[in-house]
Amino acid sequence: MPGELSRAAAIVGAAEANEIGYPETPKTSLQLHIEAIKNVSDQTGIPISAIDGIFSAGWSSQIAEHLGLHPRYIDTTSVGGCSFEMHVHHALAAIHAGIIDIALVTHGESGWSARANQGRGTGRPRGMGDPWDPGSQFSGPYGISGAPSNYSHAMTRHNHRFGTTPEDFAHIAVVTRQWATLNPRAIMHSRETHPQGGPITVEDVQTSRLVSWPLTLLHCCLVTDYGGAVLVTKPEIARSVKTKPVWIAGAGENMSHSNMLEMGDFTATSAAASSASAYKMAGMGPEDMEMAMIYDSFTVTAGITAEMLGLAPRGEGFRLWKDGHAAPGGRLPINTNGGGLSFNHSGMYGMQLLVEAYRQLSGTAEDGGYSGLPGKQTKARSCVVNGTGGSLSTTGTLVLVSD
Amino acid sequence: MAYNKPIPEPDPLSRPFWDGAKAGKLMLPRCTDCNRVHWYPRWICPFCHSRNIEWFEGSGEGRIHTFAVQHRAFGGWADEVPFVTAYIDINEGDRMFTVLRGVDPNKPETIQIGARVRVEFEPASEDVHIPFWRVI
Repeated sequence: MPGELSRAAAIVGAAEANEIGYPETPKTSLQLHIEAIKNVSDQTGIPISAIDGIFSAGWSSQIAEHLGLHPRYIDTTSVGGCSFEMHVHHALAAIHAGIIDIALVTHGESGWSARANQGRGTGRPRGMGDPWDPGSQFSGPYGISGAPSNYSHAMTRHNHRFGTTPEDFAHIAVVTRQWATLNPRAIMHSRETHPQGGPITVEDVQTSRLVSWPLTLLHCCLVTDYGGAVLVTKPEIARSVKTKPVWIAGAGENMSHSNMLEMGDFTATSAAASSASAYKMAGMGPEDMEMAMIYDSFTVTAGITAEMLGLAPRGEGFRLWKDGHAAPGGRLPINTNGGGLSFNHSGMYGMQLLVEAYRQLSGTAEDGGYSGLPGKQTKARSCVVNGTGGSLSTTGTLVLVSD
Repeated sequence: MAYNKPIPEPDPLSRPFWDGAKAGKLMLPRCTDCNRVHWYPRWICPFCHSRNIEWFEGSGEGRIHTFAVQHRAFGGWADEVPFVTAYIDINEGDRMFTVLRGVDPNKPETIQIGARVRVEFEPASEDVHIPFWRVI
């Protein structure tokens, strides 16, 4: 008997770049991708704008941005030459699940031209990145380095548009630090764990050294080591193991851009779209969320994302922290581990979000003597988790619920 | 003194821009099907997915969309801190990034979002002249 996914999707077109083999004029990998994509669109009559899922061996956000797409499913599985067969498998699952209707699986690789291009235009990072990436070619010359130097522009624009201030966002750092004082594993738990650990004030945040105005050091996350893992399984097994299940009620993803050059609205992220998908799948809304785990690479990231998740009106995300709602004992606890700001941030913080959400919803946030001190465990039975990647570029949202 | 900051590498896609920059012109890509200007340069129009793209000389004027003051930088830029970076809404549509000139990085409160700016080019090498925008 066929499996549930059997014939759940079909390949309807396949095309190549205009020139393959040994092109007369050396090509870049990006160019080869785009030619093939245009050709398969022409072949099938399916407009590029109808593509809602993108699958490639590492290129997906760059390709989507180049095409001006905001896909609902973004897969970059890159495990060698078999990646594309896997992409088809993943696309089948995503289509069967009703997440997307049209999946683009794409590849471009200037294996020959790369020699003439001296390795440029291959998409493979060379030092600070591919010098022939058309986006970075026009942002790289201007002295920005790392996330803070980019994210600061979003804070300035938010301040301009909504009349907010850096002090408003500083409350996010202050409240998040309160949570860190309840987590013995947080870097900033106390003076014992870090010379600058323990409670902080808005003044402390604002008078810490400037990194990228208007962001001072304490508006920025930590840089640490981290390892984390979660297991996901089907309901029958989830019911039979000794740990408590936390159910994935909803999930969604999206992206607005890859390079910040393409960020249309500096006060908004694709979390509005990814959370809309997640809430719809869950049949729940922001009003049903009893806590939130929000990627806080910077205070501004958390503040804006709270607005995108519908937890606060536009321009007022910071109020959740300033008015104490996000704090221990508040009506909507946020970042109960102490956040990327004060707990731990290894570069890609999404796993830390997941681990803490599981601990809270499974009622184990104070277990083991290391995951929390009394007062850390909340009463929440539902949690919206949102990760942000790149330069406020890509977002993934989960709605998690306990039994 | 030789230019000691990152110098972009013109490629087959961006070559018309850099050729223009060398001549003091801000060249921009425009789709001849939907007539919209996009930035950065594309192999395909990101709005209508036509591959009919032409280059034309832009006005070289725009307005500040948002900005920040960099107090930490690396390489040649480390000697320049603090300096102001900004996203520029160009008159033709879409947005460019720059280090802003004609502003005081120590007085960010005096820098106005929406202020008019004009492009200028600094020779970084024989082949590459880099665009910078100045408040006018």
